[in-house]
Amino acid sequence: MFVPIEPRPAPVPTKGPVVWLKKNLFSSPFNTVLTIVTGAVVAFSLYNLAWFVFFDASWGQVWANMKLFAVYRYPADLLWRPLAIAAGLMFLLGGMAGVGGRGSITANTFFALQGFVAVLSVVAVVFWPSVRFLWPMVLVAGYAGYLLGRSWPRLAKLLPWAWAVWFVLGIMLLSGVTPGSGLLRVVPSRDWGGFLLTLVLFTGIIPSFPLGVALALGRNSKLPAIKYFCIAFIEIVRGAPLIMWLFIASLLLPLLLNTDANSLPAILRAYVAITLFSAAYMAENVRGGLQAVPRGQSEAARALGLSAWQTTMLIVLPQALRAVIPAIVGQAIGLFKDTSLVFIVGLVDFFRAGDLVTVQPQSLLVTGGVKLEVYLFVAVIYFFFAYRMSVASRQLERQLGVGVR
Amino acid sequence: MTEATTGSIVRADAPPGGEKIIEIEGLNKWFGDFHVLRDIYMSVNKGEVVVVIGPSGSGKSTLIRCINRLEEHQEGRIVVDGVELTDDVRAIDLVRRETGMVFQQFNLFPHLTVLENITLAPIRVRKMKKSEAEEQAMYFLTKVGIPEQARKYPGQLSGGQQQRVAIARSLTMGPKVMLFDEPTSALDPEVIGEVLDVMVNLAKEGMTMIVVTHEMGFAREVGDRVVFMDAGQIVEVGTPEHFFQAPREQRTRAFLSKIL
Repeated sequence: MFVPIEPRPAPVPTKGPVVWLKKNLFSSPFNTVLTIVTGAVVAFSLYNLAWFVFFDASWGQVWANMKLFAVYRYPADLLWRPLAIAAGLMFLLGGMAGVGGRGSITANTFFALQGFVAVLSVVAVVFWPSVRFLWPMVLVAGYAGYLLGRSWPRLAKLLPWAWAVWFVLGIMLLSGVTPGSGLLRVVPSRDWGGFLLTLVLFTGIIPSFPLGVALALGRNSKLPAIKYFCIAFIEIVRGAPLIMWLFIASLLLPLLLNTDANSLPAILRAYVAITLFSAAYMAENVRGGLQAVPRGQSEAARALGLSAWQTTMLIVLPQALRAVIPAIVGQAIGLFKDTSLVFIVGLVDFFRAGDLVTVQPQSLLVTGGVKLEVYLFVAVIYFFFAYRMSVASRQLERQLGVGVR
Repeated sequence: MTEATTGSIVRADAPPGGEKIIEIEGLNKWFGDFHVLRDIYMSVNKGEVVVVIGPSGSGKSTLIRCINRLEEHQEGRIVVDGVELTDDVRAIDLVRRETGMVFQQFNLFPHLTVLENITLAPIRVRKMKKSEAEEQAMYFLTKVGIPEQARKYPGQLSGGQQQRVAIARSLTMGPKVMLFDEPTSALDPEVIGEVLDVMVNLAKEGMTMIVVTHEMGFAREVGDRVVFMDAGQIVEVGTPEHFFQAPREQRTRAFLSKIL
């Protein structure tokens, strides 16, 4: 007679650091040699780097130039304006994090950025007297937003509007509204720079997203005029390096609009170039996602009576975008770093600000210069933001993976 | 102009006296150079269950996909519930709202829950209130026997459950005709029965159905007519009993000997 076999627990794998080391690093004589040699090389390099960072390096110039790194020539007495924008952004992000709750993507991102602001606050207290009380205010605003979001979940409904309003207000606050010398006086965009400029240019990814989606959909259109326009746009833009488009934008845009080159701010020209360049790549990423959605999906939607537009927006696009999140985040990270190319059209972004620090007279007085110190500092900041984006995207992928096998 | 027809045309006309809901006259369709549907004449009465059988590549799926315009036809007329299918988008939308379709691969929307899958079209197309649509969705989910799965995603369901959700999804639009395109072909043998049960109940309630399937047991139980297709044409038409007992054409006998 048939008797089912009772399930048994799986054998417990032998664990522990020794087992792990033996299995992964010392599994054969060759691997043992390899482990020892690479380990020695890595340890030696790290030791040298650590020695430099903690003993040989002169960080004084980095700390002394925090303002230049952060905003370049933005007037020192108006620093409260970008910091107020930062406080508002952290307040809103904190609100999202509070509504999302501990462990959500927004909360993790929020706390990482709060950590960054906290470090900056300490740096400001010690090295940057003029804003030593303003930086901690950004921190406080963030927590205030977080607590508000925790205690009042209905904030979620207001947040999208608040973001939009703050976006507009932020631009007005940054550029100023009144002539003369008051608190809200106009700061010409040629004085914007440093990390502030890097972030402003990076927001080009926001308009490039809908543009890219539109181009991708247009490329699949049945109307030849739309289809070939989109193909031509995508292929031409992708056919030349960003650095060339930055040049072209700074020379061609005034010509196309028939205005004097000086009446169009350089930042605006660079912004347009970056946005359109990013949109072309976005379009190809999205197109890849559109192709990954099986035909049966749109057939089922059409058979149910949904219109072509509804089918695209409700069925095809959500699945297509989900499939290409890693590619889109990869593109965002790339764009974040590529903004450093704007030095070629005379803008001073974060990277270029570092460059300028290294050639200051005070820097040249330091024996051996401060190039390595400055570029290490710049690299760490870039890394922090790029890595945070990567972490957030992985969490997003995991969350959206719900139910999709 | 195409060349004149040389072979014989077998008409699959609905029995007289009924109220015709689908009429297909002289339907021809090509995929590129390939003549996939050749001179199809077919009509279906309200409440009839027509089973379409035939070897793969015979055009049976293409035929029912023409009825809700998932495929365009080049020649002939297709009239569904008084509306002729042309390039007119409004006519197409009208017909699609009156016909439900169930696919071999289910084609549930994987990013939406079962409930969202079912309420999507009523809310977006029929402009139904969400609460009302959900109530209706639960009614149909109960009808297909899986109300407890409403909050899950399609990927968490078995094939048989997914196909039953797909049927419920079509039914919420209140279709006058249901088209089934090999609804059990992608299912494990163990769960085919649960899907067929749902379809049998639907047939017994008087739904007009065109079913492309090889499930002859289903045809025998509720089928009014069986249409056998091969190489893009209708070869033989008759009652299920006719096909079981005395198929006329050699081609039909050869096919049936393989699937029975």
